[in-house]
Amino acid sequence: MTDLIRLEGVSKSFGGVRVLRDVDFDVRPGEVHALLGENGAGKSTLIKIIAGTHAPDGGVIRLGDEELKAITPRAATRAGIATVYQELLLFPDLTVAENVFLGHAPRTGLGTLDWGRMRGEARELLDSLDSHDLDVDVNVGALSVANRQRIEIAKALSQDARVLIMDEPTAALADADVKRLMAVIKRLRERGVGIVYVSHKLPEIFELADRVTVLRDGALIGTRPVSEVDEAALVAMMVGREVDRLFPKPHPKIGETVLKVSNLSFGDRVRDISFELRRGEILGVAGLVGSGRTELALTIFGITPATSGTIEIGGGPVAISSPGQACGLGIAYVPEDRGHQGLVRPMSIGQNISMASLGNVASGIFIRFAAETRRAVASIGQLGIRARGPDQVVGQLSGGNQQKVVLGKWLETSPRILIMDEPTRGIDVGAKAEIHALMGRLAEQGLAILMISSELPEVLGMSDRVLVMHGGRLVSTIDRADANPKSVGAAMTLADEAA
Amino acid sequence: MSDENASRFRARRSAPARFLSTYGQEIIIAAVILLLFVLVSSINPRFLGANNLNTIISGNAYIAVAAIGMSMIIITGNIDVSVGALIGVLATISGTLAVAGYPVWFAWTAPILIGAAINGIVGALVAYGRLPSIVVTLGMLSILRGGLVTVTGGAWINDLPPDFHFAQQRLIGIPAPIWVMVILTVLAFLWMRHTAFGRSLYAIGGNAEAARASGIPVERRIVQVFMIHGAFAGLATLLFATQLRIIQSTVPPNLELTIITASVIGGVSILGGTGTVIGSTLAAILFSTIGAAMIFLNISPYWLRAVIGVLILVTVLVDMQRRTREIRKAKR
Amino acid sequence: MTLRKVFRHETILALLVVIALIALDRQSDNFLTLDNILNQGRLMTEVGLIAIIMTFVIVTGGIDLSVGSILGLTAILIGVFWENVGLPLPVAIGAGLVAGTFAGFVNGIIIARFRVPALIATLGTLALYRGIAEGVSQARSVRGYPEWFYVLGQGEVLGVPTQLWLLGLVAITAAIVLGYTTWGRTTYAVGSNEVAARFSGLPVDWTKIAIYSASGFAAACAGAIFVSRVSTTRSDMGTGIELDAITAVVLGGASIFGGRGTIIGTLLGLILIQALKNGLSLAGVKSDGTVVLIGAVLILTILLSNLFHRDTNR
Repeated sequence: MTDLIRLEGVSKSFGGVRVLRDVDFDVRPGEVHALLGENGAGKSTLIKIIAGTHAPDGGVIRLGDEELKAITPRAATRAGIATVYQELLLFPDLTVAENVFLGHAPRTGLGTLDWGRMRGEARELLDSLDSHDLDVDVNVGALSVANRQRIEIAKALSQDARVLIMDEPTAALADADVKRLMAVIKRLRERGVGIVYVSHKLPEIFELADRVTVLRDGALIGTRPVSEVDEAALVAMMVGREVDRLFPKPHPKIGETVLKVSNLSFGDRVRDISFELRRGEILGVAGLVGSGRTELALTIFGITPATSGTIEIGGGPVAISSPGQACGLGIAYVPEDRGHQGLVRPMSIGQNISMASLGNVASGIFIRFAAETRRAVASIGQLGIRARGPDQVVGQLSGGNQQKVVLGKWLETSPRILIMDEPTRGIDVGAKAEIHALMGRLAEQGLAILMISSELPEVLGMSDRVLVMHGGRLVSTIDRADANPKSVGAAMTLADEAA
Repeated sequence: MSDENASRFRARRSAPARFLSTYGQEIIIAAVILLLFVLVSSINPRFLGANNLNTIISGNAYIAVAAIGMSMIIITGNIDVSVGALIGVLATISGTLAVAGYPVWFAWTAPILIGAAINGIVGALVAYGRLPSIVVTLGMLSILRGGLVTVTGGAWINDLPPDFHFAQQRLIGIPAPIWVMVILTVLAFLWMRHTAFGRSLYAIGGNAEAARASGIPVERRIVQVFMIHGAFAGLATLLFATQLRIIQSTVPPNLELTIITASVIGGVSILGGTGTVIGSTLAAILFSTIGAAMIFLNISPYWLRAVIGVLILVTVLVDMQRRTREIRKAKR
Repeated sequence: MTLRKVFRHETILALLVVIALIALDRQSDNFLTLDNILNQGRLMTEVGLIAIIMTFVIVTGGIDLSVGSILGLTAILIGVFWENVGLPLPVAIGAGLVAGTFAGFVNGIIIARFRVPALIATLGTLALYRGIAEGVSQARSVRGYPEWFYVLGQGEVLGVPTQLWLLGLVAITAAIVLGYTTWGRTTYAVGSNEVAARFSGLPVDWTKIAIYSASGFAAACAGAIFVSRVSTTRSDMGTGIELDAITAVVLGGASIFGGRGTIIGTLLGLILIQALKNGLSLAGVKSDGTVVLIGAVLILTILLSNLFHRDTNR
């Protein structure tokens, strides 16, 4: 069986930072090859090299019979390599058929678009993917994310894809859609398509993949047939150490309840959630993306105020209808999308750090710049932010340091409750450990932390208790002693019995 | 009800429902025009007189034609506030050529090419210079307006040759402006709908990055669409200049506002990506209908501008509501 | 927004202004006389007031095309309140200012609460407010105001035109607010990254509403001054002034996308435009030629500015 693509000894650096070092990777027809690794391990760079978006700095690529230094986008299209990214590149105001064929639509003899053929072929493609329910004439904007993803796959197929790269495809899907996607992928495999499946969801890899490759810190740890490994082995390969030793958790001193949430709802995204958060505790929130975790955080933080239910802080009921109010009540939120929601990138470290607590550095309405700088310097020291100084523009910092600035901003507000949404996403392993250590220290000092995370090792390693959400509901609360990949994973993928 | 069934229902819609949702805006405008006709003629039957009808439909024909080009610009997510000044300049050029003895057809068609050329420069600045179209066209507005007066010295053009007046000609009884407006609208509509070029404009307005990733030459398209818009301005000039006895060397006030308004009310969203040229043409007719209605109903025509302002705001507010609803639905 | 970056554009602009002043002075003896300078200051006030507040608007990433219409509307309302309703003139002026501010407030609500893009929202209110002005006035003008009213637009205080004092006061206040207060910091944050500003607990919506209301107030003041200066009220007053104001702000270094801009820059832009208009006119160039020049300067400025700021721009 000849490989469709083979990468040998491929390396890549960005601005002096080694992102991939000496990696081997190959894709065979009719297989699902999973690509596993933590954030920052090099997965996206690798698939971008295959897709032709990036050129490697070293190594050899074999495409069919040819030996190349790099794949160009055109070569990729010719070889039938297509990618379905997380951020779907579709046009909401054009129909399904148009989106599938955008850029390569069938033409009539006159040169105008052949709508008939376009719609007909789109219909065939969708049917071949068991997507009979999708209407080719509907505007994509009206479709759910799961449906849009199926259209992306159809789009890839419309270009005769022989290698299909899927980047975290189930990140935004609900359970039923995940099942459907798996069925589609299996069909594609039967047709001889080689599929590169990037994910860090272990259960899916075990269900779907034939082989799995693990990357860590840009290096190839190993490629194994899925039948020869188990979860523990994979986690060990991904993380490099025993999970227990990764997250040193000092003996927690858990105190009284600071936050009590009762029957909290926001539309149908957050349904009837009740839980308590106590001083010194780290409460992990696990669940598939789309399970409503971030929505829960945004409701508590006042961005999307609750439509029903109550929130009690320090024993007394409160109404939170804006972030300003939440802040005043001692709630801080370190957002999921650090660059877009957490930082004003063109501004300096000092200006970002004071942003949620301007009252601290101002007399009345006048900003005292010296005080602002002083506080920023102190923050930089305490959090170990690697930067030239408080005047450096945050856009120039690395992911880990940027996250520390966001954390610093919120610590300046002296919060009682700290909500962290994917705290170490997109951060290298070294900085990850630092942030985990910081969180541990903060909890020790009495802060109550609500930690939303999609990384199972992080959830298992850091949490005193784990809340599991699914479809907007709280389906399970698991104590640290009982939390392991199986119990949490099972709760995350539980079918929605309560519906 | 499980998530599965819900998404299944939403993914297929009946043909009539789809037609209504795609062409909703156009249908509403047509309905309002009809309503106005019915209302006003019941109060004052002279409203249906041939002269009045002619004024209503062909009077704003030049706005409708200019709005075709403007709609395309707005669909790509840009805007052009200099089009009024451009038409003023082109009208003067047209008149000057005619008076200077050039054949009339030349005086009619030269503005089309010149308009395309001038706007081509604007398009290049926007596309390759990466400058926001609002600022570039603001600057161009000054240049054209000032340039016009500087070159002509403020002089008006009279003694136009009699065969210059294209707008007053008729073909089988229907005035030329109506023919031009209808034919151009239909052609443009078909072209936007059935060619890859036309569809790519919607793509660019919807998501320029994704358009680029799909292989659409975004920068080239933007220059091209600005040139087409300039050509349509030239065509509008043909209808505008040739209905006057005298061509003033000033820019018709607020012309660009009226043209942009026609596009916006016609359903073209300033957020890019939707709307058709049929809507903007209907909107131009709507304006003249309202204007005429006000005269026939003895309402002071000075309130016309206020009415149009309200129309824009209502249209845009409704559009925003619709978009928020759609985003919320799709986030499942 | 480090001081170093701020000064780069403004310093170049200041240099340009100086060069222009020197060059224009050569062309005419009357240019750099005290009399002329003060007179130009007088003429510059209306655009100046609007442009200064427009700086805030543009720094938040927005735009206000309706200022000219608010100016005209205020002018008309002052006339109507005084002549038709019979209010004493000071009250009429006050009522006009309130109306103009309210018009700006409505802009703010449409933009902040209803999330309509500022460009189209103020395009709509431009038509609406001008339309109301035309409808209310029926194209008639009001004349014959009492003498003391003309002091505002045509008089002097301590040898300096009255309105120039107002412009100076507003300029200094605005510069302090934008550069040294929490309100100013919020303005820059909203323009740089509105989402992050909101997530940081900053009062984004209220800030916008306040800024657009202020813009309405500035336009209203400009309206009152305009009437006082030309001794009459007409409904087409202020047409096109938004373009001059926006040109001054963009010339001054503000990014149309938001997040950058200073009052000093806007003032320099204003001075440059006014100097060109006046200087060239004194040198015999027709005013329309100057208009062309200003348009070209605007395009060139943003082209150059874009090239320099590629990294921080979106």
